[in-house]
Amino acid sequence: MLVWSRPGRIVLWMLFALIFGVLFLAPLAVILLSSLADQWNGVLPRGLTTAHYADVARGAAWNSVKASLITGFAASALALVSGTWAALSLRLQGPALKRLLGLLFFIPSAVPSVSVGLGLLVAFSHPPLLLNGTIAIVMISHFVLISAFTFGNVSAGLARLSPDFEQVASSLGARPAYRLWHVTLPLLAPYLVAAFGLSFALSMGELGATVMVYPPGWVTLPVSIFSLTDRGDIFAGAALTMILVAATLILLLGLERVTKRATGA
Amino acid sequence: MSEALAIGAPTVRKREPGRLWIVPPAALLALLFFYPLALIARQAFLDDSGVANVAEIIRVLNSRFFLNALVNTVTISVAATAGCLIVGLVLALILAFVPFPGSGFIARLIDTFIALPTFLVTLAFTFLYGSAGMLNSGLMEAFSLPLPPVDFLYSTWGVVLAEVTVYTPFILRPLLAAFSLVDRGQIETASVLGARPFRIVRQVILPAAVPAMIAGGSLCLLLTVNEFGIVLFIGAKGVITLPLLIYGKAIQESAYQVACIIAVVNIALSLGLFGLYRFAAGRLGA
Amino acid sequence: MSAVTFTGNSVMDIDAAKVRGAGSNVYFDKVSVAYGTHVVLHPLTLDIAPGEILAMIGPSGSGKTTALRAVAGFVRPASGRIRIGATDVTDLPPYERGLGMVVQNYALFPHMRVEDNVAFGLRAQGADKPLIGERVKDALATVGMATFARRYPRELSGGQQQRVAIARALAVRPRVLLLDEPLSALDAQIRRNMVEEIARLHRSLPGLTILYVTHDQTEALTLADKIAIMRDGRVCSHGPTTELYRRPPNRFTAEFLGRANLLPVTVVEGAGPKGFATARHGDVVLTGAGRDERAGDKSLLCIRPQHLSLTADSEHTNRIVGTLREVHWQGELTHLVLDVGGTPVRVSATKLPTALPEPGARVPLFFAPTDTSLLPEDAGV
Repeated sequence: MLVWSRPGRIVLWMLFALIFGVLFLAPLAVILLSSLADQWNGVLPRGLTTAHYADVARGAAWNSVKASLITGFAASALALVSGTWAALSLRLQGPALKRLLGLLFFIPSAVPSVSVGLGLLVAFSHPPLLLNGTIAIVMISHFVLISAFTFGNVSAGLARLSPDFEQVASSLGARPAYRLWHVTLPLLAPYLVAAFGLSFALSMGELGATVMVYPPGWVTLPVSIFSLTDRGDIFAGAALTMILVAATLILLLGLERVTKRATGA
Repeated sequence: MSEALAIGAPTVRKREPGRLWIVPPAALLALLFFYPLALIARQAFLDDSGVANVAEIIRVLNSRFFLNALVNTVTISVAATAGCLIVGLVLALILAFVPFPGSGFIARLIDTFIALPTFLVTLAFTFLYGSAGMLNSGLMEAFSLPLPPVDFLYSTWGVVLAEVTVYTPFILRPLLAAFSLVDRGQIETASVLGARPFRIVRQVILPAAVPAMIAGGSLCLLLTVNEFGIVLFIGAKGVITLPLLIYGKAIQESAYQVACIIAVVNIALSLGLFGLYRFAAGRLGA
Repeated sequence: MSAVTFTGNSVMDIDAAKVRGAGSNVYFDKVSVAYGTHVVLHPLTLDIAPGEILAMIGPSGSGKTTALRAVAGFVRPASGRIRIGATDVTDLPPYERGLGMVVQNYALFPHMRVEDNVAFGLRAQGADKPLIGERVKDALATVGMATFARRYPRELSGGQQQRVAIARALAVRPRVLLLDEPLSALDAQIRRNMVEEIARLHRSLPGLTILYVTHDQTEALTLADKIAIMRDGRVCSHGPTTELYRRPPNRFTAEFLGRANLLPVTVVEGAGPKGFATARHGDVVLTGAGRDERAGDKSLLCIRPQHLSLTADSEHTNRIVGTLREVHWQGELTHLVLDVGGTPVRVSATKLPTALPEPGARVPLFFAPTDTSLLPEDAGV
């Protein structure tokens, strides 16, 4: 306890409440409120309605939810496999190559998403790799952007894993494949789940690369929300944003529960 | 997956099939990321006939729209990072050293902002601070004003405020980790010796926070330079950043070469900041 | 397919070995290990006999763990060969060496129940279900953990986890059991019990060869048939435990294995037919167990603190006089520190004269020639 006087603590807590309220709580509350707002010309909306949700549900929103979920799942799954594979096989390299490759696997997280989209457009607009205008290019762009996060999460998990587990397994006669499947991967499971959850959340909210590459008919949630608000339909945009937030949070909480149950923590 | 028997084997082995396992993910990354990146550079420097295109590069780099976007990007990034550092430090100090019931839950709640789409905040700010938003309506009703008095949202500062909200968790997280390592006994000893809280913060806590702030700050710089959704959603005419300019040139004007030239500059800036972040995080031992 | 073949062989080998009551020996043939240019193990030649417990002890960084990891196959020798029984294992991966291993932090797989941990090695080698069930039961019973089979490792205490780790290593019926600082993570009381328990375990499995790496001399003295003392990547002495304690070949061994007083002496007459030499410390002529010293050699006379007595009896024919500096009473024992001609000499006494001398007093010390050993002056490795 740094501040011993009660008034001093209360002043600090009020400062905290102010910053937290203005920066974090108000935006979330307002998005929720506006998604339910009937008409909003004054300080508070006139009344509450679920009409916006009904509207977006009738429109193309369901397709957006589907597009986002499928893209997120495919890109995260691919990123999980590739990131885990990369992190595991990087351990077999010499120190110099390990450093270099470790850096290279991280670089996609540093490049602006719009440039990733631009690069994919430039690279895959001509045969033989004509992907422009396909759903695949959206998934690839998401995969590229989240791959570094999965790689990073799994690498961090591996670094925390005591080498004793694998060595004892080997000494007891476990071949590399058996050891990987029965020891290394189960011990990494919490990190894999966390990596998948974070990837999924990032993919669900991805906008920069998607607006560069998305084909008509595969409009993800963020792109939908943008076109709604760009048209001035901000209430519908807010409703769709709440759907996005809810989907993301449900997924993250669900994964967290799965991890907790699996590790018995 | 691995044929390598020796984890951390000291001597270089002659026959190591395990090393080849890296090839598939590396090839995937090369094809889907580095190859497109190289093509951006190629398209930026060479025209369609494969000749170096210096005149066009100079024209773009000297253009008003490019310089304007560059200045905007840097200004927003630096201002937002400074804001994140200040807000993050204040919140972290209170959460760590003047905790209240539920502060752990609040810290986790702020943490989940990392997982939320960045444009959410912008959208919310429209309802809060937009010309017809809650704040302006309230002020207009209260003081019978004819025009909305608060008009910062559609400016650089609107973007900065939104980015502070979105990226403060990236500072808060390493700061809380660093503060959890600060020896509580040190603080108690200092208090017993009569040091005032402000002095303890300056002499005991801040030195412990510096590495986390440098690492978190450089990460913030990187992320704010790359930020796209917030700027796009605010949609203010005067606030164009490099990512937005690339989007505009490529998608709205189909000027791919111009987009590529700007992208090269943007990527170079980002990679420089990435290097700074890695350096800072490496010094931290993170 | 090869896994099955290997399993069959190793299980049979070991069962046969158990019936005969003889395990495999471990032979280090000029094994050296280097990290880059830094040599951590200089060419080491050492034979661990079947059924023997060899304790490798030494300070940290002395190369003892490296030697164990070379047997396990986690460290590849820069030169030399390692043989287990008749097999040259130098080029074999760890999983084909037929070992059992226990490490300091147990490394029990946290996602498996105790029984699954113990069954791990057998399952990995593709053993039959009935055999696995039987072996798991046996192994858990051996370490007294049969009732904990359904628990998870996190539900066990440190000592219990260590027993499970030992059971896991025993379940595969290893040719050699490698114990790498197995008790270091336990607190003192449990450690003492576990040392006794491992000793009991070895009595029930006399054919099992054990390589035991530790920095704790008490564990080594209690358990080991033979001890190898490591220093700076080399074996600085190797021999039967009691022999090494009673007749340390060099200063490092004398001081690392138990406590030792080393009096600088000059040899007067080399060892005769009974093995005793005479040597002079200042004006005093002492008799001690000698080796190959010759008259005039500078030497050290090693006497353990508990062999020095403040009272004379018929055996104690040697007598030196020192100035008493410190007295530390510790209940069962009293430690005295004396200054004998500039050399500090420690005495651990169980019985003291009724009138304890004051610090500063001149005190005579008595000891028997059989409790001493001469060792060369510059014998530090």
